[in-house]
Amino acid sequence: MVSLFKKSRSILGMNARNLHYIRPNNFKKARVIADNKLLCKKTLKKGALPTPKLIATIRTHDELEHFSWENLPSTFALKPNRGFGGGGIVVVYGKSKKDTSTWIKADGSKIGIQDLKEHIHNILDGSFSLSGTPDVAFFEERMRISKTFKPYAFKGIPDIRLIIYNNVPIMAMLRLPTKESGGKANLQQGAIGVGIDMASGITTTAICGKKATPVDYVPGTRLFLSGIKIPYWNDILHFAVEAQKLSGLGFLGADIAIDRENGPIFLELNARPGLQIQVANQSGLKERLARVEGLKIKNTAHGVRVGKNLFGGEIEESLEEISGKKVIGTTETIKLISQNGKELEVKAKIDTGAFSTSLDSSLAKKLGYEKILEQFDSIDQSQYKITRGNYESIKKDILHKLKKETALFKDIALIHSASGSTLRPIIELNFIMDNTLVTSKVNVVDRSNLQYPILIGRKDLKKFLIEIH
Amino acid sequence: MEYGVPQETVLYLLLLPFVVTLVALFRQIFGIKAFGIYTPTLVTFSFLVVGVKYGVAIFLAVVIIGILSRFLLKKLRLLYLPRIAITLTLISFAVLALLIFGGSIQRTGFAAISIAPIIIMIALVEKIVATQIEHGTKEAVIISLQTLFISLVGYHLMGLPSFQNLLMTYPWIVLSTIFINILVGKWTGLRINEWWRFRTLLK
Repeated sequence: MVSLFKKSRSILGMNARNLHYIRPNNFKKARVIADNKLLCKKTLKKGALPTPKLIATIRTHDELEHFSWENLPSTFALKPNRGFGGGGIVVVYGKSKKDTSTWIKADGSKIGIQDLKEHIHNILDGSFSLSGTPDVAFFEERMRISKTFKPYAFKGIPDIRLIIYNNVPIMAMLRLPTKESGGKANLQQGAIGVGIDMASGITTTAICGKKATPVDYVPGTRLFLSGIKIPYWNDILHFAVEAQKLSGLGFLGADIAIDRENGPIFLELNARPGLQIQVANQSGLKERLARVEGLKIKNTAHGVRVGKNLFGGEIEESLEEISGKKVIGTTETIKLISQNGKELEVKAKIDTGAFSTSLDSSLAKKLGYEKILEQFDSIDQSQYKITRGNYESIKKDILHKLKKETALFKDIALIHSASGSTLRPIIELNFIMDNTLVTSKVNVVDRSNLQYPILIGRKDLKKFLIEIH
Repeated sequence: MEYGVPQETVLYLLLLPFVVTLVALFRQIFGIKAFGIYTPTLVTFSFLVVGVKYGVAIFLAVVIIGILSRFLLKKLRLLYLPRIAITLTLISFAVLALLIFGGSIQRTGFAAISIAPIIIMIALVEKIVATQIEHGTKEAVIISLQTLFISLVGYHLMGLPSFQNLLMTYPWIVLSTIFINILVGKWTGLRINEWWRFRTLLK
């Protein structure tokens, strides 16, 4: 019970967000920028921060009547300036081949000038703005989804939400549009939110939708949501901190998407960032905010460094937790289990370039396989001319000769290596690596001139992730 | 009283601070949202005036028709105010139908209730429709039901004869609501619903 209350103190609730963070940090003048997309674009441009290119604005019904539609490109996004929750946005992906005054939407349906006009009338009348106040419509270039995210997103563009406070990036979340969210990167509508390790920009835990149900995979696929490396991570952190300085929003929620050609681009600034990011990251905001409170941040690079140092670096542990895989290095001390059950500790080389595991012959003898190895050695290999084609028949021949020992003798491998093709005996070996028991069929070869007596190949690494230092 | 102010008016004016404090408490401590502070307060008083049975009937009629009308009127693609005007018209018809129906089954109490609280409840449809547009139908229904819940709690607490007597005898206890609101206004702990929302972080 006491620990429950202790933990609750690391979480930022609505009351504390409003009273301690929004009220004293996000003043009216700055909030106006967040709520006005065109003004936001202008503000960010002043600091040379990337925003989607503006194509045209329509401010009045009169301007709409005199608008030159032929100048519109074949693909664009039409947005209400003060829209909320992604309402009133029309995105077209191309022009119709037959009719140049018709565009095609994401779902394949067509939209003509008359439809666009009607939609813009609605925008101007304020159908999509808060409390129905008259609004401005604008066209901007359409973002193209980056290759990294393509397999993970349904139709729309994923974006990255970052919380910035005191010029330090505090927490981040990747938002992936799903079928349920209708291609929108909005958690309230059913999108996926994936926590991000601040230091590495690699995704950690994930939740789905308003109810924040924990998820491991993209729905309907076997695509792991953890371990995605966000491209341009450093740039994204720098841009977000710069945006805080430019906008004057002391408690900022920056939304950044990644365009296939142009890299990170600002979608929006938010003066009232939501709290679900805490669930996606399985980490409390309040504790993180308290840690940067009052720090003297000299410049953007400093702020980014502080954020990375304070709120990153848990990736290894969480990767293990999420994937159920152990993280090992390129060399690892393992315990070999001998025929009579004794454990023998050796240093192993982890080699994803090899398919199967190789064990040094003298070590194999020590482990109680001497008999079978002697038998194998007694066969004169020079009587066989080894090619890929006759491998099967040679194998049959040898196995026949060694029949008596089949309990230990599993198979024969034909190994092609730089030194030519050789036949090697295969034995069954148990070993313990990072507290995990692995039962493997390993080939035996003389490795006395090599640094490591055993090399672990891909076949036995399925339960592990390898970290390269 | 001595100065010719009706006792009921005095009572309602003294009850008002408690109703609004209750709404504030529900939002800040429990995390139960309503349509602002104004709507649940008006609904609570409407219940006190017209009685809870008829009050709830009218409230539900307003919510149901308000929400359905958006689907009916969507295809017409009307601007906001004319659309709301039609919705209000539909609700007027519905309430009228309720009154006539009440009369036909000899529920004369229904026809006798005063018009002002009915109009107030009808007018709250704008809040429902605005929420429906901004946050979706599901959210609008949820907040409507939460508003109803707060109003019912308010109705039952404020309707307690012992509480009303206490208030009329010691009217100055109204001042306590200011202290309560100062405390609530400075409360930055998690709301009750947030304990559930962030449960995975608390494990």
